Parts: sequence; C-alpha cells; structure tokens
Amino acid sequence: MKRVPFFANPVLRGQLPTWRARLVLLLLFGAFALLAGRALFLQGLSTEFLQQQGGRRYERTLILPATRGKILDRNGVVLASSVPARAIWAIPDDAKQAAPVQLDALAKLLDMSTAELRRRLADEDKNFVYLKRQVSMDVADKVKQLAVPGIHQQPETRRYYPQGEVLAHVLGFTNVEDQGQEGVELAFNSQLSGRPGSRRVIKDRLGRVIEDVQAATLPVDGRDLRLSIDTRIQYLVFKELQDAMAKHQAKGAAAVVVDVHTGEVLALVNLPTFDPNNRETFHSANLRNRVITDTFEPGSIMKPFTVALALDLGRITPSTLFDTGNGKFQYQGSMISDVSRNGVLDIAGVLRKSSNIGMTLLSERLGAREMWDRFTELGVGQAPQLGFPGAAPGRLRPWDRWRLIEKATMAYGYGLSVSLLQVVRAYTVFARNGDMVSLTLAKRDSDPTSVKVYTPKTAALVRTMLEAAAGPDGAKAAQVQGYRVAGKSGTARKIIDGKYSVQSYHSSFVGFAPVSNPYIGVAVTIDEPQVGGYYGGAIAAPVFSRIVGNSLRLMSVQPDAPFESTIVANLPESAQ
Amino acid sequence: MGRLSLIASALLMFSAMSLVTSRYQSRQLFIGLERMQTQARDLDTGWRRLQLERAGLARQARIDRLAREDLKMIPIVPERTLYLNQHPVVPNGGGP
Repeated sequence: MKRVPFFANPVLRGQLPTWRARLVLLLLFGAFALLAGRALFLQGLSTEFLQQQGGRRYERTLILPATRGKILDRNGVVLASSVPARAIWAIPDDAKQAAPVQLDALAKLLDMSTAELRRRLADEDKNFVYLKRQVSMDVADKVKQLAVPGIHQQPETRRYYPQGEVLAHVLGFTNVEDQGQEGVELAFNSQLSGRPGSRRVIKDRLGRVIEDVQAATLPVDGRDLRLSIDTRIQYLVFKELQDAMAKHQAKGAAAVVVDVHTGEVLALVNLPTFDPNNRETFHSANLRNRVITDTFEPGSIMKPFTVALALDLGRITPSTLFDTGNGKFQYQGSMISDVSRNGVLDIAGVLRKSSNIGMTLLSERLGAREMWDRFTELGVGQAPQLGFPGAAPGRLRPWDRWRLIEKATMAYGYGLSVSLLQVVRAYTVFARNGDMVSLTLAKRDSDPTSVKVYTPKTAALVRTMLEAAAGPDGAKAAQVQGYRVAGKSGTARKIIDGKYSVQSYHSSFVGFAPVSNPYIGVAVTIDEPQVGGYYGGAIAAPVFSRIVGNSLRLMSVQPDAPFESTIVANLPESAQ
Repeated sequence: MGRLSLIASALLMFSAMSLVTSRYQSRQLFIGLERMQTQARDLDTGWRRLQLERAGLARQARIDRLAREDLKMIPIVPERTLYLNQHPVVPNGGGP
C-alpha cells in the first residue's frame, strides 16, 4: 500500500462546505457545556446528598452500650449486676425454610414448646418477631451454632439478683430495657443507668473498623451504688419472719432494722415476696413494699410518744398515779377496755400493762394541738425523705377537728395511720437522746441529720420505762439473753369494711437494743396471725427477740446484761 | 531541566509510597487497638459474671442451708461464748 501524506489524501481534495465543520465544533462545545453543567450540578448543588450516600456505604455508626451500675451492700457484696445477654428474634418469612429438627432444637434451647414456637413464627405478615428476650450468652451461642435460617440475635443486657427473694423489695427490678421499675432500681435509676455513647467509623470489606470518622462519644457507665443494707442481717430477718409467718399462718409479715447512730437501714424485709430474677413471680400483691408504702393504725406502739409528751410538758411526773379501775371505762359515750384489770398504776405501769384507760386519762391532761404538733414532728403525716418510690405519709387529721374521744384514742394509737418505717424512725428518739435521726438506704459517709423532739431527760426516762415494758412484767418474750432490750408491743385491730374487725389483727413490736448504748432499732409486724394468738407481745415479740440477739452478735456488740456462762476460759500461767 | 524533573518525580513517587504505607500501618494499629479494647470489654464482662457467680454461691440462703444441714452447725448462744475484753489487734503490715 502506498503511503500517502495526510494533506495529500484524495478524500480531502474535494472542497467540503464549512458549515459541517462549524456544526461539529458546535456539537463538541455543546457536549462539553453539558458535562460542565453536570459537574457543576453534582459538585455544587447535590454534594451533601452524594456525600451522605457515599458515607452510608462505608461509614457505620456504632452504639457503644453503657453498663448499668452495680448495687452493693454495705460490705461490698454484689446485690445486682448486669451482664450481656441476647434477644432472639426472627423473620417469619425466612424461618419457613427451617427444618423441623432445627425448630425442635431451638424450642428446647429457648425453653418453650415447639407448638408455641411455630405459632409465633406463623404470623408471616410481620417481619420482626421477638422469640425470647434476655437469653443468657451460653444459650445464645448454642442458638447461633444451630444456624436456623431467619433467626437472628441482638445484644441486650440482663440484670441478675444473686440474693433473689431475700432482698426483692429493697432492690426492686428493672424492665427489659434496663430501666428501674421498683425499689432502689427506680429510686436511684438516674445514678445507676449510664449514658450510651456512639462513634462513627469506616469499615473495610471484612467488616473491621479501620478509622474513626469523628471523635467518638464515649459511653458513661452507670455508677455503682452502695446500700446501707447488711446482707447477713437481711437474711437473718428474712428467715425469722418466714418461720414466724409459717408458724402463725399469717397473711404477711414485715420487719425493718436500722442503725440508730447513723440512721442507716440495715435490713428491710417484706413477706410474701417475689424473685426478681423470675418475672413469673411478679404478682402485684407481692411487689408491695409494706414497710414503706403501707400504713396501718399503730395501736399501742404509739403510747410511749404520748407519755413522753406529757412528761416533757410537765403535765405528769413518773410518780403520777392513774386509776384504771376494773379494766372497763366509760368515756364520752364509748367503752374503753384494757386486756386485764390493773387498778392504780403509775405511768411506767401504764406502758408496761399497755393500759388504754391509763392513756385516756393521760390524754385529758394534753391539748389536741400539742399532740398534733408532736406527732407531726415525729413524722406522722409526712412521707419519709428516703427517695424511695411510693413512700406513704400516713394520716393524721388536723387537730382542730378532733373530738375528745378521738384525742383519747390517738393517745393510744388509734385514729391515725403510719408506716412501719415511720414507726422505727420515730423510736430512734428514745434510742438516741430525744432526737430523731433521718433514715437512708444508701451507705452514709457523713453524720446524719436529726431533729430534736424530746429533751434528753425525757428520752432517758421513757427508755427505762420501755425497758420495763419489755421486761419480766411486760412483753417478756422480747427479752434477749445477754442484752438489755427496750420496746413496746402493739396489737391493732384492722379496719375491714369500715369497722374494726374482731378477727383480723396487726401484731407488732418496736424496740431497740442494747439499752446501755442503743445500737439498733427493730420494728416487726405480723399481719393477721391465725394460729397461736394475736397479741403483739406473743407473736411479734419473740421474732423481735431473735432478730435483736442474732444481729447484735453478728455485729460483735458486747453483751450488757449478765448471763450464766457454761464455759470457763483457762488462761495459761505464763499468759497472765 | 530534565534531570531536575527526574529527581522531582522520584521524590513524588517516594512520598506517595510512604503515604500509602503509613496509612496502611495506621489502619493496622487501629485494628489492633480495637481488638484490645474488645478484649478489655470481654474481660470486664467476664469479671462481672464471675462476681455474680461468686455472689450466687455465697448467697446467705445457701450458706445457711449448708451450715445447718450438711455441716450440722448450730447458732452461737451467749452462754457458750467467751467475750474477751481486748483491743482489736490492728494489722501493721508485718512490722514490729
């Protein structure tokens, strides 16, 4: 082939019209303009959208879960702690391909029947079905190994309560979203729950995180909470109450132990109870924390406060005598009766014999306003500042509407209502020097605040009277070997259908020990005992006695009462 | 002129290569850090679980039952207790 130079090409020899060249030029320009316009559009107007789309393809936002804080007792024993768990969920449409053998194995692992599992997977309209939540990790791993199509997992946390039903009412529980629902879990929810963090990262094709796109928001774990509860005392109280409830076939029982120096609640037990680890035991009747949220008419356990008020105001002296007659007394159109005929008693005797007539006579020397003021100072009618959900204030009607008979009944604890926690708090005035300490469920590092209610002299006087009331002539079942105890029994009739019942009683005992230097305050109440009597001195006092004795021994408090020892220590000569 | 551009292009190549390697290294290190952090988290979880397990085993109800039934222990009573009036010995770390 002959080589022809470009310009000598015969094709070019003919003269072509110039408009064709122009047209080509124009088209080329037009195409360039189009491209430039497109570039401008992408770069300038839709950058944000495009960047978002790009980011979505390689960037991921990871949620960094925060762990809920632990709850510890005063000695550092773990009472509640969260560990990771898995929620098992399914896409029913995909799960159709699962082999029956696989479903059987899955149902077995999830602790449900195969029929139940099939029923849940039958609803094909949904594309997300929870099969089971809060499955423990080892079960979740086994589920993963089964590799059932359409079954997926999602991380969660599950909270465990090692002490179970013993501490159920104090701790409460959380819901599946790890938010507090009851008890301390609810009261201190904001402190316990953490704040989840997040980070934006770039992932490579293997799914590994290779770079942070922006500074990560770190998760803030919930803070640990140290309670004032002593697990050992808590269990001891729990066991005693359980035994008493079984023995007397009672409907319920509750007790609270407080440290009277610091105002810390050492134990708080309610029966019947539930297991916070097992949602099937959550029946509303069992969930109630009777100590804090239920009020009752205290009955005789209020008497010492009225007596102390009269002593404080100088209306009576320890030697003032009251004629209680034959145990029946007509007052303002009502019959007031004592359990036994006691004749003439001094004020210590009135407390010891728990004479309602004596208290009625005493109430005549007191004004309604004075009693109202003092009872209010003792916290009746005001919810205790415990931070606990649903703390009951109790009820104390305004003094200007009290009739004379009501003033008399209030003097011995009827016509007003209190919670057990309020009672034990009020009793700290006698255990301390007339001041009432504020209670707490969290461990205290600083000195507690206290309110002055009675003079130290009155408090000491009533203390000795209460010791006698728990002595050989009073509720002697409350006595503890080795320790001097003081306290008052109470038997209150329950109001059923607006009337005082003659069958349903509330037996209680409140006191403190050791008297020489009070350390703990204990309140026990047994609700509707059926067998073995119903008097507080017979039902609640023995429980009080065992709780006090064992708790003090547990806390290594030295005995302050003499007792016979059957062992003798022989020190070797050289050691003396 | 030709030599200068040759040197410049060599430098450019070197710079580009080192950028690639350092980028690769930083990613490797980052993945290592990630792995360590995951391990730390796993260990923390394991610790929590062990703590719970210990609390479960040391549960009062269980200890009480074991002591009473298996070991046949009885609660202490004051008459069989000897009280010593002595200041508690404060451990001083083995010193005199």
